[in-house]
Amino acid sequence: MAHEVQLIARIAQGDRRAFEELYNLYHRRMARFLMRLTRRHEVAEEVINDTFWVVWRKAGDFRGDSQPSTWILGIAYRKARSAFRASARLAERDLDGAAEALTTEGFSNTEELRDWLGQALEQLPVEQRMAVELCYQLGYSCEEIGVIMDCPANTVKTRLFHARAKLQKLLPRLAHPTARPAAARENQHS
Amino acid sequence: MKTQSRDTHEECWRLLPWLANGRLAAGERAMTEEHVRTCRECAAELERERLMRAALTEPERVTHAPGPSFRKLMARIDAAPTAVDEDLPAPPRRPLRAGLAATWRPPGLAWAATFVFALGIGMLTPTFYRWSQPAYSTYTSTPRAHADVLHIAFERSLTVGEVEELLRHNGARIVEGPDNTGVFGVSLTPGSARAPGPPPGMSELAARLRADARVRWIEPLPEGARGRTPPRP
Repeated sequence: MAHEVQLIARIAQGDRRAFEELYNLYHRRMARFLMRLTRRHEVAEEVINDTFWVVWRKAGDFRGDSQPSTWILGIAYRKARSAFRASARLAERDLDGAAEALTTEGFSNTEELRDWLGQALEQLPVEQRMAVELCYQLGYSCEEIGVIMDCPANTVKTRLFHARAKLQKLLPRLAHPTARPAAARENQHS
Repeated sequence: MKTQSRDTHEECWRLLPWLANGRLAAGERAMTEEHVRTCRECAAELERERLMRAALTEPERVTHAPGPSFRKLMARIDAAPTAVDEDLPAPPRRPLRAGLAATWRPPGLAWAATFVFALGIGMLTPTFYRWSQPAYSTYTSTPRAHADVLHIAFERSLTVGEVEELLRHNGARIVEGPDNTGVFGVSLTPGSARAPGPPPGMSELAARLRADARVRWIEPLPEGARGRTPPRP
């Protein structure tokens, strides 16, 4: 964290090597969760670059009141939300309609579960999806997510509560980890 | 007591994602872990949370190469070094008056020269305005050679002979014109023998001529009409 604060201070002086180092530090993790959110590589890259465009121009305003990562991801969150709102594709969808399609099959390993999770996450409102990604993938605390999403900690808990309930509805295999998919059972009997 | 237990369960249920990712504060972690040990529902939910976290943090199959994107970003930064991003606060605006003052400050005696120049412009403005207006004159304001003259315009198809005949029939004669718009000045013919009785006055002559369909326009009372612009024929 101290190293990142130093990098930001150097960026404020126009140090391009420090900027590139910070960019590389964050690109991987941001690309991963933005890819899962947007499902489109070019949109994820655009959000990352829009975020670091602001970092380059506002590095001098960073006073260390928050962690560098929550500051940068807070900018990324606002940029991503703008990108989502510009796309009608990401409007909230009918969960009941989507649930049926996702419950007809199970998953056999963690990788498959991740793919299913990716599809299920797409069914969530963007705020809930972001909270899930920030908590499970990036490992932020409730308070840190509140800083990133600019909302109280209780709101974060509520968003995640609803997200978990919807994910369980979409993924019954997740609700019953020990159960096996119906299709697999039928194949075994036949 | 039961209510308190229910409240604890609900609170722990909401905290389980952070118990799974190891980011709970010490006090909350102790409370949640203790509750999970005695609550089957929360224990099962914690397993699901860990499963979901494992799925989302599993190493990726795709490798992201930041190089090309970074070069694109630097090109954008170099291309627009002074562009204002929408996330940046707008610079404070200078008051308009202060802005103008900072824009132009005439030095020393230039103040006096500026004052004289502005005064001259102010005095010449009416003249400039007058020059800019189209020059025109009205018939009623034109000095007359004869006080008892009517201005008259005839149908354009009339020949000179027909005009002379019309005027002669009404005891009038041409004393002016025509001007460039085809307007004549007519007056009573002295000693007109058109009709028995006293010679007609100017009003009567004007009425007679106006009644003739071949007259397009006639100014009825030349003296009374002074200062008024007649309609163009």
